[in-house]
Amino acid sequence: MKKFKPQSLIGPDSATIAFFVLSLAVIPVILPNSYWQSIFSITGVYVMLALGLNIVAGFTGLLDLSYIAFFGIGSYTFAFLCSDHFGIHLPFLAALPICALTAMVSGFLLGLTSIRLRGDYLAIVTLAFAQIFRLLLLNLDAPVNITGGVNGIYAFDMINIFSIKIITPENYSTLIWTCALLVFIVSFRLKNSRIGRGWNAIREDELAANTIGINTTRMKLYSFASGALIAGFSGAVFASFQDSVFPNSFGFQQLVIVYCMVIIGGLGNIYGVIAGAVILTVLPEILREYGGLRMMIYGVVLVSIMAIRPQGLFSAIPGFTKLIKRPDKDETGKLRASTDLYYSQKNDEKGNVKFTKQNKPLLKIQNMTLNFGGLKAIDDLDFDLHKNEILSIIGPNGAGKSTLFNIISGIYISDSGKVIYKNKDISFLKPHMVAKLGIARTFQNLRLFNELSVIDNIKISRFCRTKAFFFSAILNLKLNKREEKQTDEKAKKILGMFGKRLTGYRYDQKVSHLSYANRRRVEIARAMATEPEILLLDEPSAGMNPQETLEITEFIKKLRDSFGYTILVIEHKLNLVKAVSDRVIVMDHGKKICEGSYDDVAKNPLVIEAYLGKKGKSEN
Amino acid sequence: MENIFEQLAQQAVNGITIGGVYALIAIGYTMVYGVLSMLNFAHGEIYMIGGFAGWWVLQIFSVNHVPVMNAALLISLMIILSMGISALLGLLIERIAYRPLRNAPRMNLLLSSFGVSIFIQNFILYFQGAKVKVFHVAHLIPEGLRVFHIGGVVISFMRILVIVTCFFCMVILTVIIKKTNIGKSIRATAQDIEAAAFMGIDTDKIIVIVFLIGSALGGAAGILVSLLFTQVDYYVGFQAGIKGFTAAVLGGIGSIPGAMAGGLLLGLCEAMAVTFFPSAYKDVVAFVILIAVLIFRPQGLMGEKIREKV
Repeated sequence: MKKFKPQSLIGPDSATIAFFVLSLAVIPVILPNSYWQSIFSITGVYVMLALGLNIVAGFTGLLDLSYIAFFGIGSYTFAFLCSDHFGIHLPFLAALPICALTAMVSGFLLGLTSIRLRGDYLAIVTLAFAQIFRLLLLNLDAPVNITGGVNGIYAFDMINIFSIKIITPENYSTLIWTCALLVFIVSFRLKNSRIGRGWNAIREDELAANTIGINTTRMKLYSFASGALIAGFSGAVFASFQDSVFPNSFGFQQLVIVYCMVIIGGLGNIYGVIAGAVILTVLPEILREYGGLRMMIYGVVLVSIMAIRPQGLFSAIPGFTKLIKRPDKDETGKLRASTDLYYSQKNDEKGNVKFTKQNKPLLKIQNMTLNFGGLKAIDDLDFDLHKNEILSIIGPNGAGKSTLFNIISGIYISDSGKVIYKNKDISFLKPHMVAKLGIARTFQNLRLFNELSVIDNIKISRFCRTKAFFFSAILNLKLNKREEKQTDEKAKKILGMFGKRLTGYRYDQKVSHLSYANRRRVEIARAMATEPEILLLDEPSAGMNPQETLEITEFIKKLRDSFGYTILVIEHKLNLVKAVSDRVIVMDHGKKICEGSYDDVAKNPLVIEAYLGKKGKSEN
Repeated sequence: MENIFEQLAQQAVNGITIGGVYALIAIGYTMVYGVLSMLNFAHGEIYMIGGFAGWWVLQIFSVNHVPVMNAALLISLMIILSMGISALLGLLIERIAYRPLRNAPRMNLLLSSFGVSIFIQNFILYFQGAKVKVFHVAHLIPEGLRVFHIGGVVISFMRILVIVTCFFCMVILTVIIKKTNIGKSIRATAQDIEAAAFMGIDTDKIIVIVFLIGSALGGAAGILVSLLFTQVDYYVGFQAGIKGFTAAVLGGIGSIPGAMAGGLLLGLCEAMAVTFFPSAYKDVVAFVILIAVLIFRPQGLMGEKIREKV
């Protein structure tokens, strides 16, 4: 039986680290002169810097154009703390964390004001901040000399770490690359932690991330601050290496260069970003003999790479990323049928515990109204959802069904009326809080994290049920280990409920490669992984063929009967509605026009009118 | 008291001049953003090329700083050719750097525009040198027309030229956008590029036209500022680009009237700031305004708030 390699890799394995350490030990020895020695060191700084930006722009997808300013803040803080400029002479190891923290706090504060802005607007605010920062650096030499103006600050204290003096270029490159290795390990571990997955979810689809329980504002802020921390850290190292700081090291050109490193390497791809940083630091040096043409070539290279390999130089090169294909044979060696039908047909369902509708309201919608401009999307809607009930909502397009879901899950806030869940008013809660309380949803138009693998899509949902924070994730403490194991198991268990459709080789397949029906299933699985009590399913069978519709009908029933979910489902296919519903609510023009069992509703003249229009007079 | 009013009036005139230029640059950003949702970072370089094109025209048509033709004709020629060359450059950039990326992630487009910007800047640096190019145009204007005094306010001829040209361009553009078929197609493409294509609009052509118009206006801004301050160098594009961009966002990116209003407002704010702060901080004032606007009214002054459809 062929086993699929588990993907629960926490950090870089020791072989990778050993390789890095070895090459870092060998390279300084074979470098021809101190000029190349210093290029080697500066490459290390850029690797750190690019890895930091990779967290913000790559993992989280935030277009942060103030990144270079945090680098500058780190550098200048170091200059203030370790030179004659203010007469403060802190030891290197004390100054380093202070620089990093100063940058982080600045990042946090800037983030507080602007993190709610979307994509481009965030870019602009941060760009403006970076410009202000540079102008201040240039002009704060008068009336009181703080930054040293154009001339900057120079001549810093000699670095002395536990009485080891850092003097020679070799010393420096060792110091810098040790720091870079540290940053590498940290960012690797973050990427594979719940935090990294949360960031990825935000990058892929912020709203969907929010509805499965991720506090997106806060997570973006953390990402922003983490990037700033690493930038500040690299800034301090950079300052000490250069023995001087000038405003020009923190200008827009530098920012563009760091961005190029990250994008050429491939956003979020750690090894790619490192390679990008190395190439873009060394390439200009090789081109140096071409003098003025150098930057022109740089520009041309940038444009061509964007045109030829838009996902970065290092994406999908054989050997760098593996292509996951559907194997021709299954585990027993038999050829696969063209489709794998049937959900897992195990009938040993947990001692056959049957859940049925109880007469206990779990969710109450009270007098809810929502207007979009002059349109009443929801008009004085009022109903209860009982525990372990399957309640279907049907109605013509534009009846306000999905709007209702959006209100319950906290995306919209109703103009009046309440949503009561377990005697608690949740009308004003944000989507992530609603998810955390136990209400999960799917979307009519599918909002999956398309560039992530199937299993990661499910694992992300465990975010609101796990706790491991930065320290735990970076140091891989017990809590993180236990949670990661649990997350992995739960994700696989939930995917296993869909039979072989989403397991095995599918785990690592990108969601965007799946069929439409399979994506619907992944979305249901994703909602289930948040451990909800109530599932809101928005047209679960849309895009499925009759056979698949039958299956999903059975599955929805099973969700309630065997697993005890309470389900509110919007559906157009009436055979599904008929098969699963305890009760049906019919909506039209935002109003509830009818409520009752499927048979009652189907006969109701109001319903027939809503679907087919009024009977003509001539027929009467 | 008299003095401060005069000073404010003077700064208002200065503000409107520079604001008009910002508006022209902002229009280029906003139109491209409208159809492609991308920040065309290379737009600042188009502005710079506009300035250089004017200088080249001046060089060609003058011997020892003395022009070989009528001054009015020469200045018109400089403006028109600058616009033409910038428009062609815009076209070229669109074809080479942006069209292959039509379906790529937006960050790639942004990066590609960085690449274009770096290339053009260094191309000029390499072939024209870092030295500031001076426009010897002051003596072209008849003695009596060089400077006007209105009360205590001093307005130079060049300022009037800049203001008039800017507003002329803006009026023409407004007419094109509002009244012509092309304008209608541009507006349709900006609203929904796919739907526009389905309705039979050749969106590729519209994108080209947008780049042509935007770049021509950017080039006009470049030559006007060069005439006003009688100099240009390879690095002016960056600052101007950021300012034009700020103006576009201020007015609500994607909105053409917004870009015009944003440009004027930014120019006025900067000019007023100079009255109260050291001039080194005038850019800080501009950026602080930008940040404040974005935080309290993220859609800009004239942009529309869009509720995301879920």
